[in-house]
Amino acid sequence: MKILTTGSSLALIDAEGVRHENVRPVRLFPLTDPQHWIALVGENGRELACVEDLNTLEDEPRQILAGALAQREFVPVINRIVNITRATDGHDWHVETDRGSTVFRLETDESIQSLGGSRLVIFDKAGTRYLIADVAALDRDSRRKLERYY
Amino acid sequence: MVASLQTDLNRTLRFHAGLIVLTNLRLLHLEEAVFHEWKLGDIHELVLEEMGPTVALHLQTGDSTAWHWRLTSRFLRDIEAFIVRFHELRGSNGNDDEAGDDEEEDLFAAEPASVPKLASKPLLRLLGFSRPWIGLMLCGLGLTVASTGAGLIGPWLTMSLVDDVLIPLQSATHEIDTARVYRFAGGLLGAAVLTWILKWATTYVVARLAERVTSQMRRATFEHLQKLSLGYFNKKRTGDLISRIGSDTDNISLFISINFIDFACDVLTIVFTAVVMFSINPVLALAALGPLPVVAWLVQWVRVRLRGGFAAASRAWSAMNSVLTDTIPGVRVVKAFAQEQREIERFRQQDQHIFDTNDRVNRTWSFFEPTIYFLTDIGLLVVWSVGAWCVAQEHTTVGVLTGFVLYVGKFYGRLDSMSRFVASAQRAASSAHRVFEILDVKPDMPVNKDTRQIGRLTGEIEFRDIKFRHGIRQIIRGFSLKIAPGEMIGLVGPSGAGKTTLINLVCRFFDVSEGAILVDGNDLREIDVMDYRRNLGLVLQEPYLFFGTIAENIAYGRPGATRAEIIAAARAARAHDFILKLADGYDSMVGERGQQLSGGERQRISIARALLVDPAILILDEATSSVDTETEREIQAALDHLVKGRTTIAIAHRLGTLRKANRLVVLENGVISETGTHDALMKHGGTYARLHAAMEEVNHA
Ligand SMILES: Nc1ncnc2c1ncn2[C@@H]1O[C@H](COP(=O)(O)OP(=O)(O)OP(=O)(O)O)[C@@H](O)[C@H]1O
Ligand SMILES: [Mg+2]
Repeated sequence: MKILTTGSSLALIDAEGVRHENVRPVRLFPLTDPQHWIALVGENGRELACVEDLNTLEDEPRQILAGALAQREFVPVINRIVNITRATDGHDWHVETDRGSTVFRLETDESIQSLGGSRLVIFDKAGTRYLIADVAALDRDSRRKLERYY
Repeated sequence: MVASLQTDLNRTLRFHAGLIVLTNLRLLHLEEAVFHEWKLGDIHELVLEEMGPTVALHLQTGDSTAWHWRLTSRFLRDIEAFIVRFHELRGSNGNDDEAGDDEEEDLFAAEPASVPKLASKPLLRLLGFSRPWIGLMLCGLGLTVASTGAGLIGPWLTMSLVDDVLIPLQSATHEIDTARVYRFAGGLLGAAVLTWILKWATTYVVARLAERVTSQMRRATFEHLQKLSLGYFNKKRTGDLISRIGSDTDNISLFISINFIDFACDVLTIVFTAVVMFSINPVLALAALGPLPVVAWLVQWVRVRLRGGFAAASRAWSAMNSVLTDTIPGVRVVKAFAQEQREIERFRQQDQHIFDTNDRVNRTWSFFEPTIYFLTDIGLLVVWSVGAWCVAQEHTTVGVLTGFVLYVGKFYGRLDSMSRFVASAQRAASSAHRVFEILDVKPDMPVNKDTRQIGRLTGEIEFRDIKFRHGIRQIIRGFSLKIAPGEMIGLVGPSGAGKTTLINLVCRFFDVSEGAILVDGNDLREIDVMDYRRNLGLVLQEPYLFFGTIAENIAYGRPGATRAEIIAAARAARAHDFILKLADGYDSMVGERGQQLSGGERQRISIARALLVDPAILILDEATSSVDTETEREIQAALDHLVKGRTTIAIAHRLGTLRKANRLVVLENGVISETGTHDALMKHGGTYARLHAAMEEVNHA
């Protein structure tokens, strides 16, 4: 199995030596175990190969894969909740994330889900995910604000 | 007496009580003035005949003394047991020579009279639930006494303040004793602070106790529900159970935390004040307590009225919950048939019902409270007039009268709050009753005490002439089949033939009425049911997913499964490919009941779930009915490989699905009509061939 970059996309040469273009990596457990179980999916949506652990790969393909994953990856991690204001349909959350400050809208309290332990994932109205890596590690003020919704 | 059977009908089907008694020598029939008897030896057979809602028990003798009894079918189980006892008895007597010279057992001595345990009052049973927190309870009680006592210091001090300081001051015979005034003021402040702190502690301790008790109740109820059989849930309405575990326990919690403590306080205060009042001035005290009998009578009057009212309110609440649990999951059907208005109307009616019942209750106690209040005023009036007279007669001082009026105020204030207690106690009692009703349901699948652990099965299943009925309807009427370990059986037959029912019996969701199911030679009823079910992999006709992620749902039967195993199971069930396409892969939420997935996707998840437990017996009830034929072929290929080494029972209407079955069993009307391989059955030209031909016709049309 060999992974190549062709311009902006990936190509894969599988065990039989067949070359597949436009391969995309997909995390099977993006929330609970993002570093393991990465499937390589072909153009027809079928799985071509599956990498259980990125670290078992050679350096080069690993970097290619990690780079490709990072490209599709967008899960801001919330570091601080600045304010939560009431909006007509839900609440606007003003937050500081590892990717900068932003405002997103939440429809219901059910959009906040626990990933076990004190990890939370928040789905905003548009479907973007925000992660709170550790509720206990948030500052006191943020926790107070969060408590009202989760 | 060996066995007895009550009969409730006569031969013309009118209600009429009678008794059939079986002794070791005779069968007796007693019915008011009539008495019949048969020697056991003369009886050929006892035969049960089901006739819809009634049953006939025939006694066959071979001559004209044959008889029959009629009973309502609620005695079905008893009759069966009776017949079994009869056969046992005859079997054992057969070994003896002439049974004639044996002593007949005493007719009525043998059976120990089982005294039905009276259900104790629900509120008393609540006390039982608080037993684990007896320390907390005593602590709460102690605090209550202390804080109530502290609350009584104030008036006492007031009394001395008036008599020893203020009045002498006013009559100007004395200098003002500043130190003494400070002491009194300090004492009053101290009493207030003490009362405040003690009340705070009491409230918290008791609230905590209330939460503990009700949380224990909720858990016990849920735990108990998990023990009940499928039969119970088939009859129950979800909304009703939810409201019993939810809002009824909440009523109880409120009662314990707020009203119960108040009540204890009230009783204590009333007793304390009464004692204090009598010690100060018995005449005044008697006058003050005058209206008490009226209050007592009033409480009793209201209590009776409220009890029924609150029970009705709780039921109305349940009914509304039931409407919700019915229509919200069924919202698609509601919308599809444009019946929103009708559901709104249905809800409105239930809600109106709640309103009406509550309104009725409110009418009663809205009258009650002001009445108590009115009596308070009367009481005060009496005290003032009697007091004024006493002061005038110089029997008592102004200070004592002031203190007294304060006490009377407290006394009647307490009566007033006790009146609220009456209402909430009745509400809590009717709620507790509803919760205990669940707890009192006996698990209707008899749990055999000494069940065997069986561990891993090889998967041999034998049905020995099993019969089963739902209520009075016979669904399985004598089914015998032996399945070898690792064999795949295809179960086919028209809709309603009893296929799913048969599966339910294999899973021991229900017990057979007659006959037995044996696995690896063990009767299902004699082995530990949990242990047994760990050997089962079940894919139901209507797959059910729980709220959670896909990975959690696949791993439901084996929470400890690794991700690699989950993925492998999903691959085998051909679920992997569609999971890949979801935004969160295996971490995607499936929604309540898996609503965010398609029917075929749900089926594949539930196949993966069954495969993950690596079952010895795999049961597929229409497992692939909602997937397209290509996917079905793929799943089939995967299953072909997976059914190796496990006994499989597969039900399918698409007969092609059962190609790989070692044997096909055609079930019709609860009995096997044909068995054999596909080819043999086609050649035979019976039901199977007909079903097959009909299917071909549809496919080629
Ligand atoms: N809980 C129940 N109470 C009373 N009768 C029931 C109950 N469940 C099923 N039945 C009846 O038992 C009969 C057999 O039902 P069963 O579900 O076993 O049929 P089936 O062979 O699986 O049919 P299908 O192919 O349509 O799934 C049906 O006539 C049904 O009405
Ligand atoms: Mg069925």
